[in-house]
Amino acid sequence: QTTTLKISHQFPGGTLTEGDFRDRMTRMFAAEVEKRSKGSLKFAIYPGSSLMKTNAQFSSMRKGALDMSLVPLSYAGGEVPEVNIGLMPGLVTSYEQAYGWKNAEVGKELNRILLEKGIVLVSWIWQAGGVASRTKPVVDPDDAKGMKIRGGSREMDLILKAAGAAVVSLPSNEIYAAMQTGAMEAALTSSTSLISFRLEEVSKALTTGRAGAYWFMFEPLMMSKAIFDKLTKEQQAAIMTVGAELEAFALKSAKEDDQAVANVYQKANAKVVDLNPAALKKWQAIARTTAWKDYGEKNANCAKLLALAEKTL
Amino acid sequence: MTDLTLGALYGAVTLVVMFSGMPIAFALGVVATGFMYFFMPSSSLDTITQNVYEEMASITLLSIPLFILKGAAIGKSPAGKDLYSAIHTWMHKVPGGLGIANVFACALFAAMAGSSPATCSAIGSAGIPEMRRRGYSPGFAAGIIAAGGTLGILLPPSITMILYAVAAEQSLGRLFLAGIGPGVLLVVLFAGYAVYRAHKEYKMALDIYQKGGEKSAYLVDEHFTLKQKVEMLPRVLPFIVLLIGVMVALYGGFATPSETAGLGALLALVLLAVIYGVWKPKDLSPILASSIKESTMLLLIIGMSLLYSYVMSYLHISQSAAAWVVSLHLSKWLLLTVILLMVVVFGFFLPPVSIILMTAPIILPPLKDAGFDLIWFGIVMTVVMEMGLIHPPVGLNIFVIKNIAPDIPLKDVIWGVFPFLVLMFVAVVLLCFIPSIATGLPDMIMGVK
Amino acid sequence: MLDKVNRGLQLLSMIALVLTAFVLTYSVVSRYFFHAPTDWQDEASVFMLVGVTFFSTAYVQYHRGHIGIEAVAGLLPRRVNAVRLFVVDVVSALFCAFFTWKSWALFHEAWVDGQTTSSTFAPPLWIPYSMMAAGMTLLTLQIVLQTLARMTNKPESEHAA
Ligand code: NA
Ligand code: NA
Repeated sequence: QTTTLKISHQFPGGTLTEGDFRDRMTRMFAAEVEKRSKGSLKFAIYPGSSLMKTNAQFSSMRKGALDMSLVPLSYAGGEVPEVNIGLMPGLVTSYEQAYGWKNAEVGKELNRILLEKGIVLVSWIWQAGGVASRTKPVVDPDDAKGMKIRGGSREMDLILKAAGAAVVSLPSNEIYAAMQTGAMEAALTSSTSLISFRLEEVSKALTTGRAGAYWFMFEPLMMSKAIFDKLTKEQQAAIMTVGAELEAFALKSAKEDDQAVANVYQKANAKVVDLNPAALKKWQAIARTTAWKDYGEKNANCAKLLALAEKTL
Repeated sequence: MTDLTLGALYGAVTLVVMFSGMPIAFALGVVATGFMYFFMPSSSLDTITQNVYEEMASITLLSIPLFILKGAAIGKSPAGKDLYSAIHTWMHKVPGGLGIANVFACALFAAMAGSSPATCSAIGSAGIPEMRRRGYSPGFAAGIIAAGGTLGILLPPSITMILYAVAAEQSLGRLFLAGIGPGVLLVVLFAGYAVYRAHKEYKMALDIYQKGGEKSAYLVDEHFTLKQKVEMLPRVLPFIVLLIGVMVALYGGFATPSETAGLGALLALVLLAVIYGVWKPKDLSPILASSIKESTMLLLIIGMSLLYSYVMSYLHISQSAAAWVVSLHLSKWLLLTVILLMVVVFGFFLPPVSIILMTAPIILPPLKDAGFDLIWFGIVMTVVMEMGLIHPPVGLNIFVIKNIAPDIPLKDVIWGVFPFLVLMFVAVVLLCFIPSIATGLPDMIMGVK
Repeated sequence: MLDKVNRGLQLLSMIALVLTAFVLTYSVVSRYFFHAPTDWQDEASVFMLVGVTFFSTAYVQYHRGHIGIEAVAGLLPRRVNAVRLFVVDVVSALFCAFFTWKSWALFHEAWVDGQTTSSTFAPPLWIPYSMMAAGMTLLTLQIVLQTLARMTNKPESEHAA
């Protein structure tokens, strides 16, 4: 008997070999698990939020109405405050540190909390991000002063405010138009999204995260615990093993995109600069007193996660 | 049951429930919930409200009430009457002049709003009564507004184009520019038809009158001196101020698209207060009440149709249909024809936003492989989806018209809309033969791809 | 009674709609003239407009303003038509009742878990959920009342309602 599992994500759809690596990864995952489960597990992939709204995915998985999703964990921050650790600026500054979480105490604790909320972490995926700007490059916190910037998350907005920026909040589908008209001057997001939003057409500068970044986002492949528990031991093992194996692909692709985004913006005649260690320290200092503090004070779980995460720095 | 059989069942049940006369919003919800119960895991039923809420809680979608308010402030007040009187004094010699004016008004409003029903409502609330007052047949008046309103998603800014650009990984700037040429083409076609039809209706009215019948308003012969004409000009001023104010805020980078909706509505109310002294709660309440009634009706339909499309997507119906079409391995133009036909069929039930989300990931790769320019296809698909907005059973613009002018029978509206559907089809054919209608402008401004 | 509640909510909706226009304009003015950007305008507007929509939906139903396709009305014998209208109302009421139930469940979950939106402003989600639930409750009541009225009155008097 075969079970068909649905995987939903918000990224542009492609094929096994072409397109956004996050979509490709779900397809590789589907193909490999199907093979190893000897066809007892099949998958239907819904790219581009074509099944449900991005924000509905996490809670649908908790209720068992959606099987799997690849989604930035911090999007569920309103529902489960602990998950905001997945996009805590300055708390993760390199891929080595990011991928170390899985086997460190912080990863184990995060895993425990998510299981309690009905979510199984299948594959750990991290991405660095950068800043696209229609005026000057944003490297130091001082550069952000007075600029109209979209941070894209509560934590990033707190830091930008502390740096003196004019924080703009608007839906992601309005970013392009707002950058074009000047209603917004700069935006922070992952390298891959900087490419897929085509912001290079309306940008004059890019700050990349290829030499280290304060913006690292955790966007794991997750599964509903209610659904996971119904599978056989062999099926569960196939899912977890393939998930872990694909982390190498995610790491390689994310790094490639950090490089690719620089090329794309260079080609579009934008000024491309890298974040330097000194500037990173400055952002981190601001984060410590704003976003980290705000997060740590939310509840005991958050304080514990933060302390464990700081150990990995 | 295969996905496609299930799809056929879903479509058939939808048709039956809709033609039972159940309000469209409830009909969509009932069908979706029913299929959830029978064909989906029971936990799905627990998520229906959150799904509807998540779909509706987007400022982009919720700017529709504000666009409707802006339109109603002009359309349902003395400002609207003045505007149309002024246009009439200047254009009454041109057959169909008022019709042309309405088409242009729709196009201008479309450049400020990202949605078609909002455009339709804004211009129609004054446009339809004014046209009928001057003798236009109800179906003709309704047709002009329903069709003109569809320009909302073809002329930038456009909600559906934003979604398409992301799904197709194309430049949004290029796509927006590509919409302008076909938008102008449709304006010309619609205006041309307005002239022809008004002329025909005029001759019929004359014929009836000469045979001793009723005297239609078409036949009222009016003369305006140049002085009278010039005196009418300041009455257009509030509309011009509003138009320029909103355009500057939007394209000058002062406001985000959703802020523009609020700004425009407030500006319209302020102009009404300052110029016409309409500010007392008693005067404002009919304008607000009608805006709320209309937007509530629309948003409930849109919210439920997104629930409906969630079920359709979960059951893999649209995806399987699209995959089936792709699997036929048709020749280039046959593939395009079949895909567009499929979009037309989806247009029976779904709003453009849902059609794009569900089909784009499957139909775009083969179209690209077949050598079609995806910017060009985005425009063609938008025009075809515009047709869906004005054909039954689910045609959001038709519902707006039904609400503005409840006394026009649905049959008349549908017949009135039909010639415009033909014109849109002509536009699609023209776009196929002369792709540069769409791609010319972006190539000129942004360079050839 | 229901009538008065509907009227009151209608008034509230009107105020909220104008207020939304003010809020969005204020955010533009505040950013450009006072260089003090606001980050709450979008969500405040979304909440208010969700409120407007659901608070008005019963009132719209009162006027039978939720549009349907009445194409078959002219084709059916009168008695069959009356049955059709009755069935339509009952099924609509059942659906709305189900939706109401699930809305209150959603509200309860958000209230107990203290859910908020995930933005900087982070307002609690029970606010819009409660408006959705309350609005759907009224809508259900309204349809039930209209169904009962249909059963007791002669078909003709519906048009006056
Ligand atoms: Na538009
Ligand atoms: Na339609």
